[in-house]
Amino acid sequence: MSETDGFREITKKGNKLLSKIQGDIGVNINSCYQCERCTNSCPVAEFMDIKPHQVIRYVQLGYREEVLNSRTIWVCLSCEMCTAHCPNEVGVAEVIICFRNWAAQSHFESSEGELEIFYRKFLKELNKFGRINEMWLMASLNMDPKILFKKLQSAEIFSELKLAYTLMSKGRLHFLPKKSNAVKELRKIKAE
Amino acid sequence: MEYAYYPGCSLEGTANDYGRSVLAAFKLLDITLKEIPNWTCCGSTAAHSLSHVKTVLLPCKNIAGAEELGLELVSPCPMCYNRLLYAQDQIKKRLYDSPWPLSGELPIHDPTRLLSAPDYLKQIKERVIRPLKGLRVVSYYGCQMVRPPKLTGFKEFQNPTTMDKIIEALGATSLDWSYKTTCCGASIKIGRKDIGNFLAQRLVQKALDFGAEAIVVSCPLCQFNLDSVQFETGNKMLPIFYFTELMVLAMEEQPMPKHFKTHLVDPIPLLHSKSLLT
Repeated sequence: MSETDGFREITKKGNKLLSKIQGDIGVNINSCYQCERCTNSCPVAEFMDIKPHQVIRYVQLGYREEVLNSRTIWVCLSCEMCTAHCPNEVGVAEVIICFRNWAAQSHFESSEGELEIFYRKFLKELNKFGRINEMWLMASLNMDPKILFKKLQSAEIFSELKLAYTLMSKGRLHFLPKKSNAVKELRKIKAE
Repeated sequence: MEYAYYPGCSLEGTANDYGRSVLAAFKLLDITLKEIPNWTCCGSTAAHSLSHVKTVLLPCKNIAGAEELGLELVSPCPMCYNRLLYAQDQIKKRLYDSPWPLSGELPIHDPTRLLSAPDYLKQIKERVIRPLKGLRVVSYYGCQMVRPPKLTGFKEFQNPTTMDKIIEALGATSLDWSYKTTCCGASIKIGRKDIGNFLAQRLVQKALDFGAEAIVVSCPLCQFNLDSVQFETGNKMLPIFYFTELMVLAMEEQPMPKHFKTHLVDPIPLLHSKSLLT
C-alpha cells in the first residue's frame, strides 16, 4: 500500500477505533447505514456541531480527535432516543457517552466546561457524604472561581440565590447533608 | 406485600414532596416499603459522564442492600432506576466485579408499572374516595424510566400508558399527547440554560396546546424543570404533579393542602376550582 493511498489509510485508522469502541461498550457500529433516524429523533441535534449519525461515521473513519473536541459529546442528554429508534441497534448514545468519558480523562478542554466542572463536583460531594445534598452541591459548584466569575458577570448568581431561598422556605433544601454510613465502602472504588 | 425501597438523594432533598407522597400512596395500598439501610447515591449523570467504572459500581451497593433484605426493589426516581438496571446488567454479563455480593437477578421496579398492574389498579379504583372528576391532565414520562427499552423492558416505549392507567383509575381525564417521552433537558441547565429552557418550555407549551390543566410526572428532575421554567414565559402556568400526589389526593380521607405548598407553580387554585380540597 502506498503512502498516498488515502482511502485505505483512513479505513485502517477507523478499524482500530471501531474495534476499541465496540469492545469497550459492546455496541455494533458497522451496521450503521446512515438513515439519520438518530439525528431526527434527537431533541438537541440542533445544538450539536457533529450530528449523532455523523458521530458514527466519524468513528468508522477514525476521526477520534474531532469527536473528542466536539460540543456534541457534552450537549448529549443521554435521553437514549437515538438508541431506541435505531433500526440496526447501533447504540448511538452509548458511543457518544463513551467519547465523553474519554474526553474527561484527556487533556482536551471541554467545550462545555461548566458541565464538566459540575460533574466533577458532584462526584466529589458523593465521596464526602455518600449522598448528594443539593445545597452543598450547588455551593461547591459556585465556589469554583471560573463559574463564580461568570455568574457574577451575568448576575445569574442573584436569581439562583433567590431560587435557593424560595426552595428553602418551602422546605426543599437542607443545610445539613445526610451522610450514609456506607460512604467508606464507596471510597474504596479506585476509579476516578 | 413488601418491597425494598431505594429513595435516592433527590427524594430526601428537593423532591421530598415526591418521597412523602410515594410513602403515603404505598401505605394506602397496604404495601410496606422497607428502606435499604445505609443506601448511597447511584452516581447519576455525573458518574455516567466521567467514569464508566463508577457508573457500574456505585449502584451495586444498593442492589446488594436490597438483596440482603431479600425483597424486590422499588426505585421511584427514574434516574436511579435506570442506573440500577444498567449496573445489574453489566454485572450479570460479568464485565465488572461488584465490591458487594450480587446475584444479578433482583427484580427492580419503577412505581408506575408496579402500581398499574391489574391487581393494584383494581385496588386503587376501590379505594378512591374523592374521584378527581373534571381534572384534565397529560402524563409525562421523560426518558430514563422508559429508555432504552432493551434495559427497562418497556414494550410501549413510544407511547407508554402506565401512568395514564393510574390517572384514569383515580377518576381524572388523561389526555393523549405526543410528548410523553421527549426529554425535559435534565441537568443540562447547569451549563446551557438556553437548551434547558428551550426543551422544558416547549413541553409546557405543547401540554397547553393539548388542553391540559396540569402535567403529571414521575421524576424529580422533570418536575423541577417543568415547574421552574414557567415563570419566564408569561403564559398560563400549569401545576406539575407527581402521580403519587394525585393518588394521595384521591385516596386519603383528609387531603392535605399543606402538601402542595412545596410546588413552585401553586396548584391549590386549580384543585379548589375542581372542589378537590376542602
